[in-house]
Amino acid sequence: MGHQIPRRTLFRTASGLAVAGALGGTLAACAGGTGAGSRSDKLTMTWWGSDDRHAAYKKALAQFREKHPDIGIQETYQGYDGYFDKFNTNIAGGSAPDLLQMDTALVAQYARKGVLASLDSYVGKSLDLTGFSKTLLAAGTVDGKLYGVPSGIGVNQLTVNRSGLEKLGLKYPDPEWTWADLRKTAQDVYKKSGGKTYGVDDGGGSTLQCFEIFAREKGQQFFSGDGKKLGFTADTLQEWWEYWAQMRRTHACPPPAVTSAAHNDLTKNAVVIGKALFTFDSGVYGAGGSITDAQLDFLPTPQGDFSGAREGNFVNGGVLLSATRASKRVAESVQIMDFFAQDPTAIKDMRLLRGIPPTQKARSLISAGLNDTDKRNMATADYISRRVSKATDALPAPVPPPQGADQIWDLLFQSNLAVAFGKKSIKAQLGEFFDQAAGILAK
Amino acid sequence: MSMTTATTDEVAEEPPAPAAPSDQRERDRMRRRLARRRGGGWWPYLFLAPWFVGLFGLTIYPMLDSLYLSFTDFDLLTPARWVGLDNYTRMFADDPVFWDSVHATLVYVLVSVPLKLALALGVAMLLNRDLKGIGLYRAAFYLPSLLGGAVAVAIVWRQVFGGDGLFNDFLAWFGIKGQDWISSPDSALYTLVLLAVWQFGTPMVIFLAGLKQLPKDVYEAAALDGARPVTRFFRITLPLLTPIVFFNVVLQIIDAFKTFTPAFVISNGSGGPLDSTMLYSLYLYKKGFTDLQMGYASALAWVLFLVIAGFTAVNFVASRYWVHYDD
Repeated sequence: MGHQIPRRTLFRTASGLAVAGALGGTLAACAGGTGAGSRSDKLTMTWWGSDDRHAAYKKALAQFREKHPDIGIQETYQGYDGYFDKFNTNIAGGSAPDLLQMDTALVAQYARKGVLASLDSYVGKSLDLTGFSKTLLAAGTVDGKLYGVPSGIGVNQLTVNRSGLEKLGLKYPDPEWTWADLRKTAQDVYKKSGGKTYGVDDGGGSTLQCFEIFAREKGQQFFSGDGKKLGFTADTLQEWWEYWAQMRRTHACPPPAVTSAAHNDLTKNAVVIGKALFTFDSGVYGAGGSITDAQLDFLPTPQGDFSGAREGNFVNGGVLLSATRASKRVAESVQIMDFFAQDPTAIKDMRLLRGIPPTQKARSLISAGLNDTDKRNMATADYISRRVSKATDALPAPVPPPQGADQIWDLLFQSNLAVAFGKKSIKAQLGEFFDQAAGILAK
Repeated sequence: MSMTTATTDEVAEEPPAPAAPSDQRERDRMRRRLARRRGGGWWPYLFLAPWFVGLFGLTIYPMLDSLYLSFTDFDLLTPARWVGLDNYTRMFADDPVFWDSVHATLVYVLVSVPLKLALALGVAMLLNRDLKGIGLYRAAFYLPSLLGGAVAVAIVWRQVFGGDGLFNDFLAWFGIKGQDWISSPDSALYTLVLLAVWQFGTPMVIFLAGLKQLPKDVYEAAALDGARPVTRFFRITLPLLTPIVFFNVVLQIIDAFKTFTPAFVISNGSGGPLDSTMLYSLYLYKKGFTDLQMGYASALAWVLFLVIAGFTAVNFVASRYWVHYDD
């Protein structure tokens, strides 16, 4: 027999070691460092999107390579979930991509932190932005400098399961409809379907898609002009939540469990799983599910039915292409941006996958090759942007969202859910919402 | 005078000879001689160097760095700015989500660990017998632990407990109308607990090893005295097994506090619905990498460190009263 370790010592030591190992791991995972520049010998480009968008990007980039065999491109792509978490980590680790697809909602935050490269010195030289309207370029402009090239015109639209509506024998709403019309139609869907289908997904907590427009119809922006405060009043939010509380009571929209499941997950969207016919979420088209064979159509966000209601819609820039400031290949990245902005083959490859193309030239290039749903999508976007440009009472397009904006959107979503699950009264939740939002924006 | 003092000092320096047995002294001398022959003090350190590099470069330095960052406002993108104790005061005074996450984590730890250990011990006792093909059974029961931490299993879990998932189909056989367990704030956390309990394999294997070591003669004596199985379990098995129970409790509590993957995957990274699955590590991750508040996240990590250290210390102290060592 060899030397015996007493059991007491063995277990004490083993527990102690396990503790040390377990704790060290947690803390070590939290340290970060800053570095810059990519180490690959290829230009790195990253984007988020659907499978369709991935395929289109890859096809277009293959064309680009043929014309510029000297520029190697390493592509990485994924869905939207976690895209910016990964980007943040990459920047902190010094391995940020050279070129990336940027969200118009986040561009100001990254530009002000010095992450993105200013593109102004390339405009008119290697970056041809002929045909881009000034309002469109505003989507990529922060503090007077251009940090991203808009991919197209983005407007908020509802996606409608048109076949589902026809099957129930319901009339397709007029594009000039109001919030009361939405309520009526959604209630009819529930009644006519015998309680199988709700009307519209719960919009009480979704910001960009509908609450922002509702607030603008009331003459209030989501954020104040300097981005340091909320631009809407508690009364507006209260009215909004009461509208949706009534929608839930009358089964015009699904119960909170459905709403909660769809958070960050398009495949669980109420329209995709066949539980509703109208959705404010814009990426549903192409998400598959129960609507694969359905005819989809599109509608503008409803108009205010109160006195003094204004035009609430606005036009933004779809997604952006931005270069990182630490990159040593900004000039090459700009060549790729230019390619996507003006090259006919790239425009045809991308179709409507990054919004309605930004220039008249691009729109006429793709109109021939569009399928029926694409055409309806483009027609509605056209309808909305024309209405916006004609409106005399519309507020200016929103300022680039300040830092912490995404936390506030999430707070709005969670607050609506707390009300919907019956955990909080609207009054109590209103107080909490404004308290917490102020704390986030004061940071 | 001075002579006397010196003498006294000398006497004091000479310690009384230890009452160690002579073979102990002999062994010490042998060991010293061996060490000399092997070439002195620095060779071992050379061989340990790779481990030291890892320890200092990958554990100690990042830990100290995160301690520093916890006193700063650091957004990953611009240099850190010293803010003193701001992060810590904000956490306790001004962050409702922090308290949501503390609540969710404590419920998770206090419910999942006892259930998991009870199940592990129960299954270990069932498997502690000489059946044909027992190895196969052991492997089968251990399997979930190999898979359980994986993202794929968490995704499956989301499907099983979703609105039209397998679990509700199962309930439907009994005429029970289920709900969307994952998306309801009252049940979401318990689906995570269930996933944790299902991965009882590691403590089970450790229990099994412990059960195999238990002396047979005690059981024989107890059987002769007419002790029933339940009595034998509570009077013999459990007391003899306490060192292993202790080891498992310590490990599982630490593990449970650090749980991240299932909460992240099942809630789609949101910690929802209504922060009900916002486990502490998930909140820490969200603060650091989504909200770009790495200084705050570092402070969260250090609070977690202290809490786990506290729990573990309490465990060690309490163990004096309930753990029996047979040596």
